Amino acid sequence: MTSPPFGNHGRGEPLLAARGITKRFPGVLALDRVDLDVEEGEIHAVLGQNGAGKTTLMNILFGLLQPDEGQLYVRGQRVHFRSPHDALAMGISMVHQTRKLVPAHTVLENILLGHPGTRGFLNLRAIRREVEELCYRYGFTVDLGAKVWQLSEGEKQWVEILKALYGGAKVLILDEPTSVLTPPEVKTLMVSLQALVQDQGVTVILVTHKLPIVTAISHTVTVLRSGTVVARLRTSEATEQVLVQHMIGQDIALSMADLPVEKGRPLLRVEGLSAYNDKGVLSLRGVSFSLREGEILGIAGVTGNGQEELAQVLAGLRPPASGKVLFDGRDVTWLPPLDRWRRGIGYVPAERYEVASVLALTLVENTALNFHFDPLFSRRGLFNHPGLEQVTRHILLSYKVKAPHPYAQARHLSGGNLQKLILGRVLSRKPRLLIAHLPTQGLDVEATAFLRGKLLEAKAKGAAVLLISEDLDEILSLSDWVAPIYEGRFAAILPREEADAETVGAMMAGLYRKEAGVP
Amino acid sequence: MWELLVRSLEASTIFLLAALGELLDQRSGILNVGLEGLMLFGGTLAFIAAQTTGSYALGFLAGLAIGGLLGLAHGFFSITLRGDQVVSGMGLWILSFGLTTYIGNPYTGPLGMPRIPSLLGLSPFVYLAFVLVAAAWLVLFRTGLGLAIRSVGENPAAAEASGINVALTRYLCVTLGGMLAGLSGATYTLSYNPVWNYNFLMGWGFVSLALVFFSMWNPWILFAGALIFGVMWQLSLSPELLLPGILSRYVWRAVPFATTIVILGLISTPWFRTRWGLTKPEALGQPYAKE
Amino acid sequence: MRIGRYELTFQPRPERPGVHSALTAIPAILLALALSSLLFLPADTGFLSAYRAVFSYAFANPHGLQATLYRAIFLWLCTFAFLIPLRAGLWNIGLPGQVYAGALAAFAVPYALRVNEFPAPPLPAGLVILLMVLSATIAGAALAGLAGVLRAKLHVNEILVTMMLNSILFWLVAYMIKEGGPFMSLTGEGESFNLPPPLYAPLLRDVPFTALLALAAAGLLDFLFAKTTLGYRIRVFGLNPAAARYAGINPVALSLLVFLLGGAFAGLAGYHYFAAVPGVYKIPGNYGYYGDLAFYGIICALIARGSAVGSVPIALLFAGLSLGARFAQGQFHLPFGVDYALLGLLMMAFVASHFLYQFRVVWRTVAAEAVPHVPTGIPER
Repeated sequence: MTSPPFGNHGRGEPLLAARGITKRFPGVLALDRVDLDVEEGEIHAVLGQNGAGKTTLMNILFGLLQPDEGQLYVRGQRVHFRSPHDALAMGISMVHQTRKLVPAHTVLENILLGHPGTRGFLNLRAIRREVEELCYRYGFTVDLGAKVWQLSEGEKQWVEILKALYGGAKVLILDEPTSVLTPPEVKTLMVSLQALVQDQGVTVILVTHKLPIVTAISHTVTVLRSGTVVARLRTSEATEQVLVQHMIGQDIALSMADLPVEKGRPLLRVEGLSAYNDKGVLSLRGVSFSLREGEILGIAGVTGNGQEELAQVLAGLRPPASGKVLFDGRDVTWLPPLDRWRRGIGYVPAERYEVASVLALTLVENTALNFHFDPLFSRRGLFNHPGLEQVTRHILLSYKVKAPHPYAQARHLSGGNLQKLILGRVLSRKPRLLIAHLPTQGLDVEATAFLRGKLLEAKAKGAAVLLISEDLDEILSLSDWVAPIYEGRFAAILPREEADAETVGAMMAGLYRKEAGVP
Repeated sequence: MWELLVRSLEASTIFLLAALGELLDQRSGILNVGLEGLMLFGGTLAFIAAQTTGSYALGFLAGLAIGGLLGLAHGFFSITLRGDQVVSGMGLWILSFGLTTYIGNPYTGPLGMPRIPSLLGLSPFVYLAFVLVAAAWLVLFRTGLGLAIRSVGENPAAAEASGINVALTRYLCVTLGGMLAGLSGATYTLSYNPVWNYNFLMGWGFVSLALVFFSMWNPWILFAGALIFGVMWQLSLSPELLLPGILSRYVWRAVPFATTIVILGLISTPWFRTRWGLTKPEALGQPYAKE
Repeated sequence: MRIGRYELTFQPRPERPGVHSALTAIPAILLALALSSLLFLPADTGFLSAYRAVFSYAFANPHGLQATLYRAIFLWLCTFAFLIPLRAGLWNIGLPGQVYAGALAAFAVPYALRVNEFPAPPLPAGLVILLMVLSATIAGAALAGLAGVLRAKLHVNEILVTMMLNSILFWLVAYMIKEGGPFMSLTGEGESFNLPPPLYAPLLRDVPFTALLALAAAGLLDFLFAKTTLGYRIRVFGLNPAAARYAGINPVALSLLVFLLGGAFAGLAGYHYFAAVPGVYKIPGNYGYYGDLAFYGIICALIARGSAVGSVPIALLFAGLSLGARFAQGQFHLPFGVDYALLGLLMMAFVASHFLYQFRVVWRTVAAEAVPHVPTGIPER
């Protein structure tokens, strides 16, 4: 709980205000007459679920998007941001949900990019000194000459914050800053933000869907739901219950029923698996585990700790550097992807649009991505269109996919519906091993609950599931075993009973490791 | 031998100017595979303008202008329309190839003007090219504008979020790059080999394109590469200087192209690729949409 | 783009039904015809009559019609050579080089059999012709396959490789037929030896049998893409290579295959023009002209949006246009290279139609900026 610091609450004009902001995207009303008031020197939280419109609103405040209706005001003066350039000129800076840094450039170059002082020739030495002094003032240590792709997610975020401060930001917008941080990094961030506000007079707008953050450090909360403002409260006067109700609007039972399942025979065995990532760095460093039919192993970790490489190696899309993968007793370490599909390994990649689907093709043809090699659907080289159409219709029905008809183009589906189609298509093959990487990322509550239910269904039918996720709730509510992954290694493999949020969170941060044994 | 070196340097200049233009394009993320087309048009219009008006200045101006114009067109298609940059580039090449063959045909033959005087035995364009290489390096790596250009080519979203106008930056690069390509063609027809005939470039534009890939987008390595290719080219034109009597001269003409393929293959092997791949502008060839 | 109070934007078209794409070929062609009429402006007679002469020569004159057909067959084959890799998202611009390779390989057969020296071939003529066709096809496929392998295994840009190969093959042909090269004709004129009459390609009503091959291929190719699993895999790979890998499609095998198929057609085109067209039956000194003609295949495939059957009438039209333009050029004393200019204009027409296909232009009036000072007290909720 916080107490309001200095500042003229309720008196005079807010530092930043928005009135009647409306924004439409094709088929979606993202923001509907949204008002916002941010006082000077406060930490203002914008709370809402995924898809509530928080990022859209922030992008408008920052000049990345133009509102269809509505106005923005800075200290009572009407302003119009045609691009981030204008917002930056007004001292408004934004640190985005996804990193907006140039990975190939150094930290210093990124901090400099776009800074007004860099017209003409760069006096690198003088600038370096200035930035170093800034780092010292805020207590950050980061090597200015390091390339950004070498940094951890937390460090990258600090670079973005530094960049904003070096640019003279008076208002700092942080969009979901904790989503890529480990719990200790989150604590550090919150302390630093409070220091920034109290000592340096910076105003912070904090966009998040996480209640603990809101209650811990914010002074005011604006709650967004489905594009409208449903509440605006002093944090000190709000309780978590009230905030949740505003956010969700109804009570959704988020706990999953625990289905007792017969643990089957061992199916997957991984020994000492290592792999290089695209940059040539060994990001997966010797992972070992085994999985039985009807079990779900939840691999919990912040993106960038080797999970992507693990999923890709198991799916056959990346060669391992060393180690073995045994599926049903057979060594499949070097098996091509097609043979893995044939043997009953199913993969739902994290990149929905780039890898798991082809937007320009019809839904039927997208279904065929996982069926084209199946003798039932490809006889003597000919494509079995009617058969595929039937399968597609079945998926659309049983997965409640909102689509006009099976021959619509995949690009017309929303993210949630596309993901339902993808999971439905993979599960329709009744895989014995399912690798699900970030299966519910970016989806709304209903879609998320539905897909999680489907995962449990698959498990009940005897499939082994490897669930790779960043969402601790998801991992804890679905898994039989939990393996926090940090810097390419499992910190431990815990049975569900021993896995609690604190422990797992700490392990994700590399704080301590149990002896990772094979259960 | 001195003659060979001089001609080699002058040949390198042609490669270098065009490749430098393409390097500028690619550093900002725009791929122009129709480089040869811009060179053809630059050379043809420069030739025609110079011959009809008797003025070299007007000739070069014409070459620069058409190069810039075509670069702008490519930019429009790639940046504003976010079209497939390969389609646009190929389109520009075929368009230029066809039209210049037609337009230039009545002018087939020598330029018929007094040669541009040489400085210290070398064509002045050799010095110009060197100066441009130095300028390119300076701008790209030591100025705020250069940082902006490179960032636009690596991660336009990051650049946009830093307040940089991605579209404007790319338009600037693609127009300047086009002008350099036009200049390269003009230098060919007005200085290096002042004779117009059908397909006078014989594939130089594509070799220049390959040079940009070889150079790992660094102006100085580009310079070195252009020098090497200049020598190789001259040798292929007059192999008797080095290896008289061995193989028909036609086979020698094919050597630079074969060498290009071999080098392309080498830099694509895994060992090379990780090092080379790190220098490639990450957003090269990808349309950027302000979302 | 803002112009005063109006704003011009280009918005991507939301719906793109299949019929729509076929229909956009029509404005492209009309635009092409309109643009090409500009070429006839300097004609001695009025340009309308020059234009009429072009079409009547190409399609009404029996001699001209025949020439149009011969050229159309060549263009069909070149179109398929470009089209197949295009569907897989790859650019095979090595058409001239593959045509030359096909021609060289075709002529290598009678050369190897010493047929050019003795009047009577040692093997039955039909067999030799078959060998010529096969070797031309294989040579074209092999050359394209080289680019395909480099692309598939090492991700080398196929545009660069195929363009380099074009130049290499161009000079190789020069070597073979000029200045004492192995294929040089006895007259020493910088062209290849003549094909003896028994080895002329069989004709059906004065049209070489290659016409049948080309037309059958058109139908088969479209069937391949629409109905077969292989065609599906090629399309997926062309639209999203990462998704194709995910789906288990082998990128190396596929890239190589489409280049082999494409090159085979281009090689066959080489056989056709130099060994099957009546009146030619040799590799002439101006072989480069025919190599350049192969680039028309690129435009036909692009305008037809990758449909083989769709490209048949388009290629026929362009064959006639380019031939008629050549004829009109001589007849009306137009500058040389009208068919080259046509190539360029057609490309422009394609780009314009491509733009129409992808986008629609939207005019919007932008509301005037009013900046009143509005009280901004916090509304109580």
